Amino acid sequence: MSAVLQNLVNQPYKHGFVTEIESDIAPKGLNEDIIKLISTKKNEPAWMLDFRLQAYQHWLTMEEPKWPNVKYPKIDFQAISYYAAPKSKKKLNSMDEVDPELLRTFEKLGVPMHERAALAGVAVDVIFDSVSVATTYKQKLAEVGIIFCSISEAIQMHPELVRQYLGTVVPVGDNYYAALNSAVFTDGTFCFIPKGVKCPMDLSTYFRINTEESGQFERTLIVGEEGSSVSYLEGCTAPKFDTNQLHAAVVELVALDNADIKYSTVQNWYAGDENGLGGIYNFVTKRGLAKGVNSRISWTQVETGSAITWKYPSCILRGDNSVGEFYSVAVTNHYQQADTGTKMVHIGKNTRSTIVSKGISAGHSNNSYRGLVRIAPTAAGARNYSQCDSMLIGDKCGANTFPYIQVRNQEAKVEHEASTSKIGEDQLFYFAQRGIGSEEAVSMIINGFCKDVFQQLPMEFAVEATKLLGFKLEGSVG
Amino acid sequence: MVTSNSYLESLLQGRPQLPPSPLAWFNHLRANAVDRAGTLKVPTTRDEEWRFTDISPLAALSLKPVRAASSLEAADVERFYLPEAKNRLVFVDGVYMPHLSSPTGPDSAQDPEVVVVTDLSTAVLAHAKAIEPHLGRHAGFQDNLFAALNTAFLHDGAVIIAPRNVAVENPMHVLFIATQSGAASHPRCLFIAQDGSTVTILEDYVTLREDVYVTNAVTEVVLGNNAQINHIRVQRDSAQAFHIANCAVSLARSSRYRSVSVALGARISRYDLNTRLEDEGAECAIDGLALITGRQLADTHTCIDHAKPNGISRQSHKCIVDGAAQAVFNGKVLVRPGAQRTDSAQSSRNLLLSAKARVDTKPQLEIFADDVKCAHGATVGQLDNEELFYLKSRGLSEVAARNLLTYAFGAEIIERISIASLRHRLEQTALEQTKKTEL
Repeated sequence: MSAVLQNLVNQPYKHGFVTEIESDIAPKGLNEDIIKLISTKKNEPAWMLDFRLQAYQHWLTMEEPKWPNVKYPKIDFQAISYYAAPKSKKKLNSMDEVDPELLRTFEKLGVPMHERAALAGVAVDVIFDSVSVATTYKQKLAEVGIIFCSISEAIQMHPELVRQYLGTVVPVGDNYYAALNSAVFTDGTFCFIPKGVKCPMDLSTYFRINTEESGQFERTLIVGEEGSSVSYLEGCTAPKFDTNQLHAAVVELVALDNADIKYSTVQNWYAGDENGLGGIYNFVTKRGLAKGVNSRISWTQVETGSAITWKYPSCILRGDNSVGEFYSVAVTNHYQQADTGTKMVHIGKNTRSTIVSKGISAGHSNNSYRGLVRIAPTAAGARNYSQCDSMLIGDKCGANTFPYIQVRNQEAKVEHEASTSKIGEDQLFYFAQRGIGSEEAVSMIINGFCKDVFQQLPMEFAVEATKLLGFKLEGSVG
Repeated sequence: MVTSNSYLESLLQGRPQLPPSPLAWFNHLRANAVDRAGTLKVPTTRDEEWRFTDISPLAALSLKPVRAASSLEAADVERFYLPEAKNRLVFVDGVYMPHLSSPTGPDSAQDPEVVVVTDLSTAVLAHAKAIEPHLGRHAGFQDNLFAALNTAFLHDGAVIIAPRNVAVENPMHVLFIATQSGAASHPRCLFIAQDGSTVTILEDYVTLREDVYVTNAVTEVVLGNNAQINHIRVQRDSAQAFHIANCAVSLARSSRYRSVSVALGARISRYDLNTRLEDEGAECAIDGLALITGRQLADTHTCIDHAKPNGISRQSHKCIVDGAAQAVFNGKVLVRPGAQRTDSAQSSRNLLLSAKARVDTKPQLEIFADDVKCAHGATVGQLDNEELFYLKSRGLSEVAARNLLTYAFGAEIIERISIASLRHRLEQTALEQTKKTEL
């Protein structure tokens, strides 16, 4: 039985290939000159350079966080190249002009984007390494006044908006990796939904790390004005490499009065081979500020990749009656390590938050949920419900839960529950009785286990996530 | 803030007065602890283990060593005695009081059927063989300043040894009375239940005056195969006092440890309870209640370490927080690799009664085995409106209904205490403490 599980777990990474495209790479190392180089290359205004330098100064004074429950060799930040851009410089007007090599890459990933864009009506702002090369559906979005573009473009075209919101949710000195990102981010996504606009389609971005040994520092900023709503999808895959790649992204969401932002992620970066060699270090800072009254921020994530995941999508519930949600499935296998969870900081009155976290660990992996629920003295009537369940597959893996609950208001109500379970012999026997093989049974049990989270995903993502989990755990249950 | 070293010096001041023991290992243990204490720093809120408990007010105190020879008479302390307890060990400011105590006689050394209840300095000589493998071996002081300090002061203490296959009927009462202002005492307990024995022990901390003092206790509890200990711990220190306590429990095969700890007193109290299920089939049930108000802080850190398969653990911790008090709970359940079929359940429930009260709770699970059943839950809230409404519909006033519900919340833990007279006393105390005359 465990042999079947082993096979499931030991499936090679299906998306491991390298696209040979010439890259324009900055020399390795990090100093003020490199930051100036990035800023000059991207033709940025002076305030942006100041922002970066300020972040860099902060970063120099900070230390790498030691508290996460993960182990990895010390990262040499001077051995990383902080800028890589595809050489093609001319602007593209249609998909036909995109480098065919690039298109083939997406083909291999199973993301035929023109098809996908047409069929699913999804605008895909394709990020290849660090520079945005093609953007679709811009026109359609522009009609309703939505700005959806790369952040470097936004810095050129809408500097006042970027300047107003950038760094307001995750300040430059927030944490070690956020400071690093603020100093050297090369590209990312900017999205602005004006007052009263409901975004007519799901917005989506595909990230892909390509150049070996180049860390990728994404910066995403989504602003929802009064009464607006948007659903944003982020999906990731990366090619197979033996040296670790660092990824330190920052995502900031701002929701004003009555705005609603939904942010979904499916992350399937290269996790290293079955011996724990290679894989992406995913050190991400994601935070949403529910600034206005009745605003809502919802995070949904399916984390299956990366050698190390260190990620806590958070909600600062400042507006009265604002709502924060966090739905997460984290799957670890082989020697993967995940320390992930959320922070719900209740500041406004009658703020509500829900946390549903499902962790599945197999192989020699380690999966931790780390969450914080803080009820400030001002948050009268605040309400939180947290549920975090773990499932262990095999006896070499670990599942940990570290929920911090801090309550400073007597009118608040906070509930937390956690449980740990495994796929029982009796469950598999029941399936076998009804003629369902163990592999399919495991897939069904796991999908049932994760149902609460998958329900929150947009349709296409839910299908993809179900499949992803299936082959991620192929051979690991028996 | 006082630097850590001068603070330690002030704490270690009383040490030279301790007479050396004729036993080399005993002196060695003490000397090791002194060395270790010298290298450790006073924890601050920057240490994860002390993140919510700021003990800088403790570090700022200038403490005196305990003056020996208390003149307390039985009449002064009789009210703390329990009618059920035939054997009692009384310590005043950490110093053993033979005239107030009723240990088992010296014949206990010869008779293998008689439980040993005596003070440490007598016990180490008469029962060295039973004590040496355990004293200072379970409550590690390598990384724990307070345990190191306590061990450095190792002299007086309570020793209870339940012999093989003996079920001790009457509860044993270990009473620590604080009387001196500004003094630091270091109570020490060693409870051993040998294979197949059963014993009930009350560890009781009381005071005769509302004053500033420091209690730094260490308790080691050892259970042999199939042994059972009911350990009740009541902390009723002065509301200005500091109470730091470390308790280490070691469970052998199929042994059962039940513990109820109640914290009512102290300005800042901190209780570290480490329970290690060292062999298969061990069971523990750990319950706690903190009932605090004013500017009190009650911090409970527990660790239940499932090292071997088939272990069972149950934990229920409750805090009732009023005034501007703060309750901290950190409950770790660790299931080590190979500890299959572990069954663990933990709950942390907290009741906030005032606007300034605060709670920091962290139930923590670390699991490294797949065939386990582990669950934990935490709630923070206030009295249920529907329950209040129900009581009011039966004619109770708002105040009476609130008092009743608050009391009932805590009573669930107090009811688990097996000694009737103590249970009754604590119920009265809880009733008084939770009674509010107006809203």
